[in-house]
Amino acid sequence: MIRVSELTKRFGPTVAVDQVSFEVDRGEVVGFLGPNGAGKTTTIRVLAGYHPATAGAAEVAGFDVRTHSLEVRRNIGYLPQEVPIYPDLRVVEYLRYRAELKGVHARARSGAVSRAMAKAGIEDVARKLVGHVSHGYRQRVGLADALVANPQILILDEPTSGLDPNQRRRIKQVVRDLADEHTVLFSSHILGEVQDVSSRIIVIHRGTVRADGPPDDLVSQNARAWLRVRARCPADRLRDAVAVLPGVVADTFEVSGEDVCSLRCQVEPGAAPTAQLGDRLQADAIAVHELAVERPTLEEYFYSITDGQDQRVEEQQEGAA
Amino acid sequence: MGAITTLKKELLSYAVSPVSWVIAVLFYLVRGFELDGIARSFAVFKADPNQFPSATYGAGSTFYMVLLVPGILTMRCFAEERRTGSIETLMTAPIRDLEVVLGKWLAATIFFAVLWLPSVLVLHVLEYGPFFGADISFGPVLSAYLGMFLLSGLLLSFGCFASSLTENVLLAAILTMLFTGLLTQASTILAQYLGDWRNEYYGRELLSKLDVYGNFSSWFARGLIDTSQVVFYLGGIGFFLFLTWTSLTSRRQA
Repeated sequence: MIRVSELTKRFGPTVAVDQVSFEVDRGEVVGFLGPNGAGKTTTIRVLAGYHPATAGAAEVAGFDVRTHSLEVRRNIGYLPQEVPIYPDLRVVEYLRYRAELKGVHARARSGAVSRAMAKAGIEDVARKLVGHVSHGYRQRVGLADALVANPQILILDEPTSGLDPNQRRRIKQVVRDLADEHTVLFSSHILGEVQDVSSRIIVIHRGTVRADGPPDDLVSQNARAWLRVRARCPADRLRDAVAVLPGVVADTFEVSGEDVCSLRCQVEPGAAPTAQLGDRLQADAIAVHELAVERPTLEEYFYSITDGQDQRVEEQQEGAA
Repeated sequence: MGAITTLKKELLSYAVSPVSWVIAVLFYLVRGFELDGIARSFAVFKADPNQFPSATYGAGSTFYMVLLVPGILTMRCFAEERRTGSIETLMTAPIRDLEVVLGKWLAATIFFAVLWLPSVLVLHVLEYGPFFGADISFGPVLSAYLGMFLLSGLLLSFGCFASSLTENVLLAAILTMLFTGLLTQASTILAQYLGDWRNEYYGRELLSKLDVYGNFSSWFARGLIDTSQVVFYLGGIGFFLFLTWTSLTSRRQA
């Protein structure tokens, strides 16, 4: 439904998006992650037909965004990051206007507006002036606007930005429900909600795609976990037992305690040394108080491929110099 | 279709905007006092009632409407959309940029025409016995209103263009007022720089075409419709709408 190929967008000398490529298939809910200024909004704006790309190609619903912008816009529901709505119109008037603008037939318009309001949960403010509703409701009015023409594809740019936890929960539920009927690409920098809602994430940083895949797979396959063991034995003996395990990162050992000592170290992605270590300690008649692998969180993974990766590259460059 | 939708929404926005009502009330109030004054002086000096319509064209409220109102009506067209960010939702809707421009300009022009409408009705009221009882010739009145409609259309199209250049609504209004001032004085100002050429055929033609008030009083106000004048205004409207469209489209790049 969405195909982006080596998309580049420059604003003067600034490269906002640099050869980004990804695809979103029908029925997927894809989270578009990245720190502030990563290029999420620019990419989304190119897909929504607001900005033309400098280079590369993007297709939405089978239409090229550059040559068939109108068709693309007919097939998407777009919620911008800041929901700017005309404050002097009533919510229902605004949605009727948007439905008409999006080509919803006059006879179907009332029904379409009612359905969109019901999905977004804003029926109780239908007669209020848009300028008088709270930020959370305004965000939902924007969501209803995106839904009003029942588009195949929804592109939501930080739909929960600035909302309180209850409102965020509500929007998350709405996005989950939409997954049954729509293809959804939504950006956020709140990792928890992306993990909750999306089947796949795309991480963008400094204008380039850093990761693309299901969040759990990405974390387990690409980020180091922590092995944590506490046992009744001298520290050196525990260290020796752990050091021979496959996948253990030697220079990350943190050992403490004397009689009952604790050891913590990183293990490479995919490595599962707990069973082997347990057997070994049992064979040596060492009492094990605790033995576990702490899987990294999405947040840790996110850091490791964004700022963490940049930091490592800078350190390597300084080292080489 | 998109232009009609934009037109309807803009007319609704004008209808619910306090600024529109302030403009209307001030105009009708000032116009009312002026018409009353002119009618009294016609009665005192027993002037020809048929000259009454042309006497109203030079009234202060006409200048107020021509000089100030186009800038105020159009200042929000694009500047406000850009300031609040609603331009993003507008330009990502399935509607052509040109339709947006046409819809907004047409709404401003229609609203401006509606503001003028009661002043025509007042002239009709003066035909009744208790007032003048005069048989006012409405041909020149209508052609004068056509002239005013064309001039205001030109000023409003410039207003749309000015509004598309900035996020600052006040700046957009001031630009339009400056343009209006320049347009009304263009003939006089240009004549100073043309030297002897102003007496040549093309110089004279150029100055006469740019003389907005001169053309209005010698043509439209006398019931004469000069096609070259109509083409001048329509061309100007088309030119500024094209510039507005270009400005809007080019802003997508930024």
